[in-house]
Amino acid sequence: MKKHFYTSVVETSSISLAIADMDMSNEERKHLLGLVENNLHHAILDAVLSELSDKDKEEFVKLFAEGEDEKVWKLLRGRVENIEDKIKNTAEALKRELHKDIEDSKNKKHVK
Amino acid sequence: MQKNNNYKFLADKWTRRHQYATQEIAKKHKKSFQWLSDNSKQLAVGSLSGLLLLTNPGSSPSAQVDVKVASQQVQKIDPKTFLIADLATAVPDEVRPLSAEEEAKIGELLTKGYGIKASAELEGKRLNRSYGLIGAEQHLARYPGDTMDTHFDGNSEDSSKYYSSGMAPGLGAWGYFTTSRAAMTEEDVMREKYYLAVQTFLSPDFNNRVAEYRDFYKFRKMLVVNPHNGKAVVAVIGDAGPAEWTGKHLGGSPEVMKHLERVDGRARGPVLYFFLDDPDDTIPLGPVEPFQ
Repeated sequence: MKKHFYTSVVETSSISLAIADMDMSNEERKHLLGLVENNLHHAILDAVLSELSDKDKEEFVKLFAEGEDEKVWKLLRGRVENIEDKIKNTAEALKRELHKDIEDSKNKKHVK
Repeated sequence: MQKNNNYKFLADKWTRRHQYATQEIAKKHKKSFQWLSDNSKQLAVGSLSGLLLLTNPGSSPSAQVDVKVASQQVQKIDPKTFLIADLATAVPDEVRPLSAEEEAKIGELLTKGYGIKASAELEGKRLNRSYGLIGAEQHLARYPGDTMDTHFDGNSEDSSKYYSSGMAPGLGAWGYFTTSRAAMTEEDVMREKYYLAVQTFLSPDFNNRVAEYRDFYKFRKMLVVNPHNGKAVVAVIGDAGPAEWTGKHLGGSPEVMKHLERVDGRARGPVLYFFLDDPDDTIPLGPVEPFQ
């Protein structure tokens, strides 16, 4: 998983393990893991931006784009109560949906 | 087969989810991204695409080739994703005529995105709008005697996909595309395959400039884009319509509609449609993909 400011509070091993158990090529597995990261990334980005004022959003996207993780956390902790929990909850909610998709893919009756 | 289907099911679903999320986030936080874009010089970030490129951690299904950059593995990202995100900040939520400023901005994005010069106005002429609801049209007879039985020239795949759309009872605005089957060229075939019906009759000052407009519009190339998925087609103006009372603003041939995936339950949906500046006739008709 590429490192972002939220990497320390979000873990994706349960999804990685579920995908690892599926019968597919390594390239396909790697592609799905990339999509998981993409989806998590945007869900978290949206959750964080939704908590900030317009002015703070500007500061956030600037720091985020510059990769200033420590400054990002300083900004978020100063502006949003329990921001770590909010990020974790967002990630967990999405992971539940992704796990459900994985189960659906196994149970789906595939048609040629 | 089963294992491949599992992968395909998840890849399709998660790609759609990601495209939707990208579009929604760009729309919802438009002002912030716009601010970033406006201040790009100070921040060394070129555009919203640049921001997503810097921050997006994964890949999309059409780009599965890994590359090593600065000893960190990153993956190529479908350029459509960026275009969709950029368009989401420029296209209004409501399907309405665009302002001159919006048309200029979107024209710039399309030109840059697809690498072909697109504009809402060309040679001092413009349609009544450049963003509107597209509806499905039928096939047009290309020459006298062209019927649904002859229309696909023996191509059974096309026939199975598009036969059900049927043949329009009348001719296109310019009559037949050619005089006979024997005289039909590849250009004629492609023009019918990828045609649009636009409201030529609602162009500004149309009644006083009929001949001028008629010559300009005849088989004029346009870029038509579904801003929600980045699917785009280069098509020609092949017919006039639809009538105002239908609530639709333009029509697309069955092949155009299929590629754009621009049909909802009422068989219509919003698209951008811009003129292409192609004086030497070098831009081929048909689906077009955004640049890397």
